[in-house]
Amino acid sequence: MSIDLAVIKNLGGDHLDLPFWEGARRGELLLHRCGICGKHYWPASRCVEHGGTDMAWVPASGRGTVHTYTIMHHAYAPRMAPHVPYCVAVLKLEEGPFFHTNIVDCPMEGIHVGLEVAVRFEEDEVSGLTLPVFAPVA
Amino acid sequence: MRGRFAIAALGLTEQGIRLGRSDRDLRGDAVERALREAGLERDAIDGYIHCWGEREDLRYLGLSPNFSWALSCGGATPTAGILAAIGMIEAGQAEMVACVYGIAPTSGYIPGVPDLKSIGAHSYGYPSLYGMMGAASAHALHARRHMHLFGTTSEQLGAVAVTQRAYAAVRPGTTGYGKPITLADHQGSPMIVDPFRRLDCCRDTDGGVAILVCKADRARQLSPNPVYILGAGMGQNIANWHKGIPYDHHDNIAPAKARAFAQAGITLADVDMAQLYDPFTISVIMQLEAYGFAPEGHGGPFVAEGGNGPDGPIPTNTAGGQLSGFYATGFTPIIEAIVQLRGQAGAGQLKKADIALCSGHGLNAGVQNSWNHATLLLGNQP
Repeated sequence: MSIDLAVIKNLGGDHLDLPFWEGARRGELLLHRCGICGKHYWPASRCVEHGGTDMAWVPASGRGTVHTYTIMHHAYAPRMAPHVPYCVAVLKLEEGPFFHTNIVDCPMEGIHVGLEVAVRFEEDEVSGLTLPVFAPVA
Repeated sequence: MRGRFAIAALGLTEQGIRLGRSDRDLRGDAVERALREAGLERDAIDGYIHCWGEREDLRYLGLSPNFSWALSCGGATPTAGILAAIGMIEAGQAEMVACVYGIAPTSGYIPGVPDLKSIGAHSYGYPSLYGMMGAASAHALHARRHMHLFGTTSEQLGAVAVTQRAYAAVRPGTTGYGKPITLADHQGSPMIVDPFRRLDCCRDTDGGVAILVCKADRARQLSPNPVYILGAGMGQNIANWHKGIPYDHHDNIAPAKARAFAQAGITLADVDMAQLYDPFTISVIMQLEAYGFAPEGHGGPFVAEGGNGPDGPIPTNTAGGQLSGFYATGFTPIIEAIVQLRGQAGAGQLKKADIALCSGHGLNAGVQNSWNHATLLLGNQP
């Protein structure tokens, strides 16, 4: 089944982000990379130095560290209702970009700035997307 | 810039929870009050800037200006609206511009949003997939960084809540009037979006505001106490996003501050009060640092020692701000600056109230989490 563009648009994205979500469905984490300077971006972007002339989606390592986070004590999304309290973290991925995600398989009190994490993938029945989520590196 | 333009009138409706009036009705009321204060007929308004976005105000308000704009950069919109008004006056397009705001979220009315239940995902984008919605979570990410970098504590956040509630407790018309709180109340309030407890968060209120912006000489004809625009500036935190440090900054305040103070020809020492945009307690701490009232990283101890209180070096949010007063977007700081500069704050009147620093902040995006920031310097002399 293809990714529903309407879902992506409702989340503030557009067709330029489709390769990312198709990659996630295959179990691959992709980032948008400038071929001129090698800087990585997420989601689809124009390079702040070089514009859009040589941007391409490339595989990422799938590792990062927690840059900042919050613990939500109310379910603001239906998907999260069974998981309250849950953590929304902003990771600094190994390649540089920030990435919002959930930290899974980790007690809330174990989450801290600098925690090293690695990607895994979860199906989201509400959006129909496969979501990259992250768990602490063993 | 300094002193060439002024706010000739303020129209302020009741502000509170579940007023049972529509947003448009509140805007209409605010405009009527501003016209009455200035002694003007409605045809004097030849420019209308709606500081949000709705299209049918003019018919309902009985206005017929040369232009009507919807302007939207969140809580920075009121200052952006004042700047746009000045631009139109300078360009010879208008002489008396109304900048108007009014929402009634607790009565079911937000302009342009027929279904209040639908608003969450729209502005929070991809992070909403992970259950991140709402302004509290977006600001919590900055609060957590500040705690990590500088050791800021929940008790220090609580000091902001307690001090601002003390201001509101003696100010009729605020949500916190007659209801002081203690630090123990703050620490005992439930965790909502870590590290924010309920008392770290402002809540939505209903209300309308209108200000009339014109050239200073016209304002002097209309008002015994015009409030002068001394300087203004804006910044966008996307600059810090590109540098990889957006969460270490509440906003990109430096360029906004620099431009506003250069226009006004003043320094921080000339400022008598700070009226800061404060949806959450961390906002006060981080802005006091960014403006230079407290050294970087010392905003927590500064507020814990009462630095933002009535007898501190910089009285801040002297009617309780958004946290304990009411949430009228970026108008909350501007309203209190006008009240203080005119000497109309009653029991809460500051001894010295000649120059006010106001801030606004808004229109964040989901992933980039960057806001516009607005600095506005107001004075009771040109």
